[in-house]
Amino acid sequence: MNFIVAIVNGLSLGGTYAMIAIGYTMVYGIAKMLNFAHGDVIMVGGYAMYITLLLMDLPIVAILFAVLFCMILGICIERFAYRPLRGASPLAVLITAIGVSYLLQSLSQIIFGSAPKMLMKLQISGFVAMGELRIAYSTILTLALTVVVMVALTLFVKYSRTGRAMIAVSEDRDAARLMGVNTNAIIAVTFAIGSALAAVAGYCMLMKSPSLANTLGAMPGIKAFTAAVIGGIGSIPGAMLGGILLGIIESVSLGIPAIAPFTDAIEFSILIVILLVKPAGLLGKARREKV
Amino acid sequence: MKKIIALVMALLMIVGCVAVFSACGKKDEGTIKIGLSGPLTGSAALYGNAVKNAAALAIKEINEKGGLKNGVKLELLTYDDKADGANVEAGYLSMLENGMQLSLGCVTSGAALEFKKLSKNDNLFFLTPSATADKVPEFDNGYQMCFADSNQGGEAAKFVNSLNLTEIGILYRSDDAYSMGIYEQFKANLNSSITTKDAAFTGENPTDMSAQITLLQNCKFIFCPIYYTPASTFMTQAKDIIAADAVYYGCDGFDGIESAEGFNISVIPQKVTMLSHFDSKATTGVAGDFVKSYTAAYGKDTLNQFGASAYDCVYALVGALNAAIDAGKEVSSETTASDMCKLLQEQFNGGYKFTGVTGTDVTWQKNGYVSKTAKYIVIKEANAQ
Repeated sequence: MNFIVAIVNGLSLGGTYAMIAIGYTMVYGIAKMLNFAHGDVIMVGGYAMYITLLLMDLPIVAILFAVLFCMILGICIERFAYRPLRGASPLAVLITAIGVSYLLQSLSQIIFGSAPKMLMKLQISGFVAMGELRIAYSTILTLALTVVVMVALTLFVKYSRTGRAMIAVSEDRDAARLMGVNTNAIIAVTFAIGSALAAVAGYCMLMKSPSLANTLGAMPGIKAFTAAVIGGIGSIPGAMLGGILLGIIESVSLGIPAIAPFTDAIEFSILIVILLVKPAGLLGKARREKV
Repeated sequence: MKKIIALVMALLMIVGCVAVFSACGKKDEGTIKIGLSGPLTGSAALYGNAVKNAAALAIKEINEKGGLKNGVKLELLTYDDKADGANVEAGYLSMLENGMQLSLGCVTSGAALEFKKLSKNDNLFFLTPSATADKVPEFDNGYQMCFADSNQGGEAAKFVNSLNLTEIGILYRSDDAYSMGIYEQFKANLNSSITTKDAAFTGENPTDMSAQITLLQNCKFIFCPIYYTPASTFMTQAKDIIAADAVYYGCDGFDGIESAEGFNISVIPQKVTMLSHFDSKATTGVAGDFVKSYTAAYGKDTLNQFGASAYDCVYALVGALNAAIDAGKEVSSETTASDMCKLLQEQFNGGYKFTGVTGTDVTWQKNGYVSKTAKYIVIKEANAQ
């Protein structure tokens, strides 16, 4: 019985990972860089909700504000930290991304202190009981949000002009520019979408457990990055698949007392195995490097 | 011109030397410096600040009464290690440079395991108020005022064995020395007739505890050898899923949970209890006096057993130093850390008895562990249905 709950919990946790992983994978696909500050955008979104809730008692406003704030933050990070480095060596961009991550974490610690804040107003704590099965409302809501977000994103990328421009930029940035696509604007939009998803993922985490600290996004960020790589970095369906897979593995493994302490090790070992067997990830395209 | 400059330089050197020697020659009415490394910021800041406040309070009281028997006064040196072993060395060295002669060690176990190695090299004596890991007093210069984890786990198991339960849940953190230490000893001492459901998590601030809640949802008694931050996260997330008449039972890591920032314990319907050596609701005796003077100086928020234990540490050290003075030993601000360690070891290994806030007739074993009795403390009763 608990196994079914573990799978449902895993789907929900995986949905959260998938939303974060999409941010990694889209940015990688389009800007060809790893945005390691992505996990910390979740945390900033959490604090945006915290501040709104101090001012008013409306969780929905807090969530919308956090989404908006994260979009602006994402665009700003891209504009001021990454755009000046476009064309620089990938290593310089990577180090900058790690720097931005530390900057966000440290700033939050300075402003809000390091003791966790409890956002009780965001918590959804009830559950649905079916005999022995107990599934929290927050789990169901997360699942629903994940599905909505993924369907919307897929439609947006496939059918909207901006979405198709994104695909074009990811296929070949120079050719897209020659065709009249404003690549800088497209990259900014990518960051905005990724950051908005991060804010939604942050809400999914906080409604389950309303404890908010400046390290909120660190571990989920790394897990989601792992999910993106497992799924094939650069591929949106890959990030969804990788996220859900990782979430289920984590949830099931935590539910078995004998192997629970090794959950993190198991997750990251799977990454290694997949990279050995299928270096491009599950749904990634094997791309021959031009020398 | 060069000659004049050389002459001036030479003169300056002589003056400098004289100044140095005169400083050495003057009988310095200095203080004995006690070092303390603990988390003054970060997720365990509640512990570090409680220890710092209480140690400062004890030192202030002692100095106001004239210091040690020979009139030498005390001074506290502190360093914020953020409960991270990686920060300990820098703080240790800076305190040593500032004249640390003996120490309260570290507040948390992980950091203390680093501290014990450093202090071993200098043969610096430490009596830790709250680093409970078994290995903290591994070397002969380290002692504990708190229960070691194995004793804490054993005492907790003894209590649980007496409750006539058939099944209990355990929530522990598998990447933490403190939690694992208690967990292992608890399991080793638990009656084999009691079955357990063990739920593990990692990280100091876990966010999603759904998997652990699913495992523990039918347990009526949950033993949580963890710190208050993840405990408050778990309780908040589980408040409606775990039975309202269930009992949480923690060790010293639970202390202060009712005043953790942002956490409102009254929304948790379950009963919250812990094993401790200090009752913060005490009104009489030494403990009552400590509660009164501590709250007068620092308020109620950081009043917990960590502070009480640190207060006792300072008084126990002073008692031992006074006993050494009675035995004709030289104790002053000039005593080296190593000499200080030798004379304190003689006391602590030689049947020194201490009575304070956290216990009466407290003694120490040769291995540095403390011998005293544990109390069962109810932090919060179950909410009325």
